[in-house]
Amino acid sequence: MMPPLALPEINKILLVLILFLAVLIITVKDLLFLNFLYRIQSFFIVLVSLALYAPDRKTSLLAVASITLLSKVIIIPSIIKNAQNKLKIKRDVEFHYLTPISSILVSIAVFFAVYLSFSRLITELPDKTFLITGSLSVSLMFMGMIIIFTRQQTITNIIGFLTIENGVLLFSLFMAELPLIVEVLILLDLVMLIVLASLLAFGIDSNIEEFHKKLQPLSKFLGGQK
Amino acid sequence: MIETNVFFASIFFGISIILPVLVSISRPIARRISMACAGLGLLALADISLRVMITNSAMTLNLASFYKELSFELLIDRLSAFFILTIILVSLAVLIYSFRYVEHLKKKHGKNIAVSLMNLFIVSMILVVASKNLISFLFLWELMSISSFFLVYFDYEQKTTGKAGMFYIIMTQLSTLFLIASFLLVYSSGNSFEIRQMPQNAPMASVIFILAFLGFGIKAGVIPFHKWLPYAHPAAPSNISALMSGLMIKVAIYGMIRILLTVLPKPLLWWGVLILLFGTLSAVLGVIYALKEHDIKRLLAYHSIENIGIILIGLGLYVIFKASHFEALAFMAIAGSLFHTLNHALFKSLLFLTSGSVVMATETKNIEDMGGLIKNMPATAFLFLIGAVSISALPPFNGFVSEYMIFYVFFNTHVLISPFLKILLVASACILALTSALAAACFVKAFGTIFLGVPRSKHASSAQEASKSMIIGPAIIAILCALLGIFSFQIFSILGFNFPIPNMMYISIVLAGTYLIFFLLLYRASKIRVYETWSCGFPLSNGKTEYTASGFSEPIVTIFRAIYKPKRNSTKEFYDDSNVIVSHGHAEMSLMKFFEEYLYAPVLKAVDFTSGITARLQAGYLDLYIVYVFLGSLALLIAMGVLT
Repeated sequence: MMPPLALPEINKILLVLILFLAVLIITVKDLLFLNFLYRIQSFFIVLVSLALYAPDRKTSLLAVASITLLSKVIIIPSIIKNAQNKLKIKRDVEFHYLTPISSILVSIAVFFAVYLSFSRLITELPDKTFLITGSLSVSLMFMGMIIIFTRQQTITNIIGFLTIENGVLLFSLFMAELPLIVEVLILLDLVMLIVLASLLAFGIDSNIEEFHKKLQPLSKFLGGQK
Repeated sequence: MIETNVFFASIFFGISIILPVLVSISRPIARRISMACAGLGLLALADISLRVMITNSAMTLNLASFYKELSFELLIDRLSAFFILTIILVSLAVLIYSFRYVEHLKKKHGKNIAVSLMNLFIVSMILVVASKNLISFLFLWELMSISSFFLVYFDYEQKTTGKAGMFYIIMTQLSTLFLIASFLLVYSSGNSFEIRQMPQNAPMASVIFILAFLGFGIKAGVIPFHKWLPYAHPAAPSNISALMSGLMIKVAIYGMIRILLTVLPKPLLWWGVLILLFGTLSAVLGVIYALKEHDIKRLLAYHSIENIGIILIGLGLYVIFKASHFEALAFMAIAGSLFHTLNHALFKSLLFLTSGSVVMATETKNIEDMGGLIKNMPATAFLFLIGAVSISALPPFNGFVSEYMIFYVFFNTHVLISPFLKILLVASACILALTSALAAACFVKAFGTIFLGVPRSKHASSAQEASKSMIIGPAIIAILCALLGIFSFQIFSILGFNFPIPNMMYISIVLAGTYLIFFLLLYRASKIRVYETWSCGFPLSNGKTEYTASGFSEPIVTIFRAIYKPKRNSTKEFYDDSNVIVSHGHAEMSLMKFFEEYLYAPVLKAVDFTSGITARLQAGYLDLYIVYVFLGSLALLIAMGVLT
């Protein structure tokens, strides 16, 4: 069995790796590789959950690890991969608002801004690990947003949503009871599911704005123009 | 007994609203049953209101309770009963008129809905004035606004109707916005939505008053918030115009009076000055704008603004004398204001109904295309004349008495100490006198152009008298106009008020005697010689040589040129390069729409500018919204960090 003192260090390494993977997701153009990176990121979150489970043996943490493994490492990436195989576009080359390099710089700036704000906001913490993990997870949420608004393709946008969700999950792992966070998580899942379902149903092959055009023929059921 | 009456009234009103919508037959029977039911419902409520009026009592009725503050309770005190009776009297006449009028409407489809909405409109007005708390007041106020909006929008295919409808709904929603703000402040002051005296807190009271004045003022058509009136009235069917102009704007007056009497019973002096200024402005500008109008319904709409001004003058005088501790004069002022409210409701609905008959017969609203209708429509002409005489405040009709009461208060201005107030009140009295004179001139123009002379159009010459119900309805109101004038002294005595007003019964006898002698002399003279008037050498007297409405009002328009500010635009094109020989040209003259150009347009421009900026933010791209969320969340986080 691993000595208890080594666990926080492992967690720190895992968190840094998760953040590094988010940076990669921001810059990578190949959609299949993007999905793979997301799978790895989710897997690292499973490892973080297990590392947290080891000292206290809380079953809820084990449940989180199991569900994450099942949904985010196996099922969701498989659905995305399945959708990707049906699409003709394999790469997301277009960036807007921010270039990949400026996205990374903005992410670093966001991390420091969040860290400084948290250091002033959360003063009564048992140790500094919570501050770092909190800042990392919130930064991950912001990075997810950066992924969404800088990229065009629907698949990338979905990965962005899922990255935000990973950030929320990470935050909830280190903090105490957070019902609001759970609600946000469910909401994000719902959004992602709707987008994925529409992707499969209507075959959106480029971006979310296409969604409107695809739905246009259905407007006659609502009394719109035929 | 009260519960029984309310129960039957509810049943009748329910049938009157639902039946025409459920029955989709095009025959008039469903509509007539519906209108009859509405009439029976009104009669059931009239009994309660009359009892409250005479015994000076109050009664409450809890219709439904949902939560602590959320309940539908009715309170009928003397003030509510007065307004309910006003609504009942006018509505009954309008319902009788509508029996035939609705069938003449050009739109085949939608007549049933129009009847249903009309009944809903009447019921909502009654419930607004009977509301015991501000929540139900607001709810019913909105019901009244929305039902009237659909009635204005009845002829929605017409381009002008669309504009009128949109103008009306925007203004009415603006009015509601101010009322909500005012009522929320009332709640925050007393922790209750009950219509009752709020704790005396001067700055808060003034804010509540201003917001309520704006909210009710917009709905009442007080200048400069009046523009919806001249658009909405010509667009709506005439029976609806009668209800809107005769009653709906009075519901706004009720709101204003209720706030001043119950919620803020200790008014400040400057509130009175403000009301008086707005009232005087509305009265004089309303009649000046009416003078230049040739659209009969728009002309009447401007007269509504004028009369709302007169009612506000009375209300302003009440506040001024109340704040100056002259209770008797204050009471007389508010009584005059209330009596004028009733009178205006009567004669304005009479005028709208009779003009509706005229418009239906001639198929035009332009009085220049009418003329000579007294020959083909004598009953309508006589009823219109009574309305015109009443609105012109000529004795012995009701308009004279109510304006006399307001003038009487003005004549007692000397009791006030402040020289500023004395000058203000004297100036206001002079303007009110001018207003009355101009109103008389305007109705001489209207009656003369519509009913006298010879027809100026084919439709006018072939016009037919209105059907019986369209005569009986207005006739009831005309009789009331005469009775309320002639027996005003006696009616006030029965209600327990001894105002220093002349006994119009004696004056009526004197006037009737004078008219009789004059008529006899004229009759005798007519026996001596009957001859066609010399028509300046023209062989035949025809419409083209008639004295027109424009010609009649021209001298007055010239006097008030500074207000109308006529604009002349002309363009010329020439054959030659030296601009000597004119090939063709275009010339037009229009009057300046002061409030639209200098108040509404700048406000709209500002709104448009702000909307332009907002529209740029709202581009419709998901990515952009995520950027907003990103920046917003980050800014919030940093702000929290900085502020901690």
